[in-house]
Amino acid sequence: MSTHTEHKTDDKIILGDQEVLKSDLLTLNMGPQHPATHGVLRVEIKTDSEIVVDAIPHLGYLHRCFEKHAENLDYRGVIPFVDRMDYLAAMSMEWGYSLTIEKMLGTEVPKRAEYIRVLVAELQRIASHLIFFGTYAIDLGAFTPFLYAFQDREEILRLFEELSGARMLYNYVWIGGVWNDVTDDHLKRIEKFLDRFEEDLKKYHSLVGENKIFIGRTANVGVITKEQAFDYGATGPVLRSTGVQWDLRKKRPFGYYEKFDFDIPVGVGEKGSVGDCWDRYHVRVLEMFESVKIIRQVLAGIEAGPVMGKVPKIIKVPAGEIYMRTECPRGELGYHLISDGGKTPYRLKVKSSCFTHVSMLPVMAPGQMVADLVASIGSIDIVLGEVDR
Amino acid sequence: MHNQIAETLNKAVPGCNAVVNTATIGDSSITVDSNFILEVCRTMKNCLNHEFNVLQVITGTDYPDRIELTYVLASFTKNLELLLKTNLPRGDKNNLPKINSVVSVWNAANFQERETYDMIGVEFVGHPDFRRILCPYDWDGHALRKDYVVQEKYLDMVVDPPHKNNTDDQMFGKRLKAELGDPKSVSASWKDKDSGDAEEAKDGE
Amino acid sequence: METIHLKKNIEPDLTIAQWFRNVYEAVKTTAIGLGITFKYVWAKPVVTIEYPEVREELPENSRSRLFNDVENCIACLQCATACPVDCIYIAAVKRPTDAPKIKTKDGTPIRLDLKQYTIDTALCCYCGLCTTVCPTECLTHTKDYEYASYTLAAMKYNYLAPEIRAWRTRIVK
Repeated sequence: MSTHTEHKTDDKIILGDQEVLKSDLLTLNMGPQHPATHGVLRVEIKTDSEIVVDAIPHLGYLHRCFEKHAENLDYRGVIPFVDRMDYLAAMSMEWGYSLTIEKMLGTEVPKRAEYIRVLVAELQRIASHLIFFGTYAIDLGAFTPFLYAFQDREEILRLFEELSGARMLYNYVWIGGVWNDVTDDHLKRIEKFLDRFEEDLKKYHSLVGENKIFIGRTANVGVITKEQAFDYGATGPVLRSTGVQWDLRKKRPFGYYEKFDFDIPVGVGEKGSVGDCWDRYHVRVLEMFESVKIIRQVLAGIEAGPVMGKVPKIIKVPAGEIYMRTECPRGELGYHLISDGGKTPYRLKVKSSCFTHVSMLPVMAPGQMVADLVASIGSIDIVLGEVDR
Repeated sequence: MHNQIAETLNKAVPGCNAVVNTATIGDSSITVDSNFILEVCRTMKNCLNHEFNVLQVITGTDYPDRIELTYVLASFTKNLELLLKTNLPRGDKNNLPKINSVVSVWNAANFQERETYDMIGVEFVGHPDFRRILCPYDWDGHALRKDYVVQEKYLDMVVDPPHKNNTDDQMFGKRLKAELGDPKSVSASWKDKDSGDAEEAKDGE
Repeated sequence: METIHLKKNIEPDLTIAQWFRNVYEAVKTTAIGLGITFKYVWAKPVVTIEYPEVREELPENSRSRLFNDVENCIACLQCATACPVDCIYIAAVKRPTDAPKIKTKDGTPIRLDLKQYTIDTALCCYCGLCTTVCPTECLTHTKDYEYASYTLAAMKYNYLAPEIRAWRTRIVK
């Protein structure tokens, strides 16, 4: 099952215990312009009739060498570029980066700013999972949930726009705090939104997740086992769907997460087997409920105060290195910063969870139908901006 | 934790020469000999006390005299994290530094090593599928090396063509200086690397 | 010749009873779904904004088209330094010592005569770093978002040119 095998025409292909129809292997290119690959991912599929024998992901269509850019920018100037990695969860990207620098500088972030960071990151998680929810339903042929998901996401984006001034690429979480303060009006609106959203989300789940057709398309499809997940370094919902209780927010708390009470949803194989596409879907839906729980606690606990800590005007990070991991909607995001004491990073490496998840496609794909491959790609929820960086 | 790991490593893999780099700011790390990376990684994965079952990332850093590879290992069972470092000579274009691949230990290394090869230019011996990953296969050079220069032409396409540069506006300040004949009185924002403009931009603050 | 083994998706055995149960569940769950969507026919407000006819008002601190009020600019070059994509071009000449003293709106003396203030909006990434460092708050993001143009050259805004002053009255707060 290596990723780059040259298949010969007289190869024997055995699916399960049956020999499948043996025609010549057909090479299909899925992408780069394919709506089901969520961006510009090209998957080279080798198929025998409709059964996928091998899937080779080809990356790099959105590669802009963010890491080289970062070497030439001052520490504040990196943040807009960080946004553009995972553009569906820019707040989480910024937070991870800011934490990295703050840890090196030893900056103390004001309490209110920490609360706001948790608030926006969790709202962002909801927004990001809503995109998954909507686009995954589209992948499997249901169009309506997409509209509902975007309608709710729109409310979050509108709020972010009022906070930061931009809809997707916020540049809001800054080193030392956040740019702008939230008003009481915003908090009230968030509370109202949560009340409505929690009810609606249950409805959405019964519309999509409980639907027999959806279950038929996702249950027992694209199963990832616990061992495979560890072996390939999967994180986030993909890892949790295999039944591993691993969430950095709980296990290595950053920000104020240790103060909040929430659960880590894991996949239990309710509709099929543990670690299938339905589990990955369900873990994300349950996470949205957990996010709602966290945000409610933030709204109860937020206190008045400044939102920006003391940061020097020209940031110079002391020489050294750090590897900082944070939990983003799509998995663990790691920043490996090496500084030589100058105004710009000497090396800034990003560990992207989507990148590792793409590398799992060759494990999930063989033996599936082409249509199931679409379900598998959708279920790992990749953003190509983060894969290619 | 680091000292304990280094001790274990030195005992289990003789010759790997594990040294702890203790840091006061940021993270500490362990440096090992590059020839033994495969054995070291296998030991780290199977070591019962630490059980680094996940390879998070492999990254390379280009220093003037060496290339430093960092393997970030994590244990999801024991909740640990380790930066494992190894040094390689820089080599040159036709003679890239070589190191053993660790794909046999963690499959996660597959894409990570390909990326490291693509960006830093390190050859991983024993990798099952060794190609570039982010750049096209016929790309020249390794972008994250500090001395990297973009090729001028790629498949008949000129990289960074002059007509797309906004030279008019960039050179405005320079022209102004020439016109006035008193360069000290002009401050301009565009940093021209060839002249001392960058210095003056700072003065203007 | 070699043999490729593929793992098969686990499929539960399908008995006749299971088949009928599947049909029943499919009909039932789809009916529940249809019930949810059916409410949207009349019970929910319309959310679509029909764009060219109805224009959305952006929030106050929305980061859209940049505007520099050159009369208040002191040519400190801070915006150009902060810009991560280097799209701001400024050139200024020292004011002669015998020239009349002028000040910005907030009282900062202007010591430099602005000769060029151009922003290449085609390069701009709307990150907002330039407006936050501006000491006299002359460089601002406006709420104007309809400024598509046919050529790249038209995206270069020379804020000293008179035609730019025309949209000042229209959009600047």
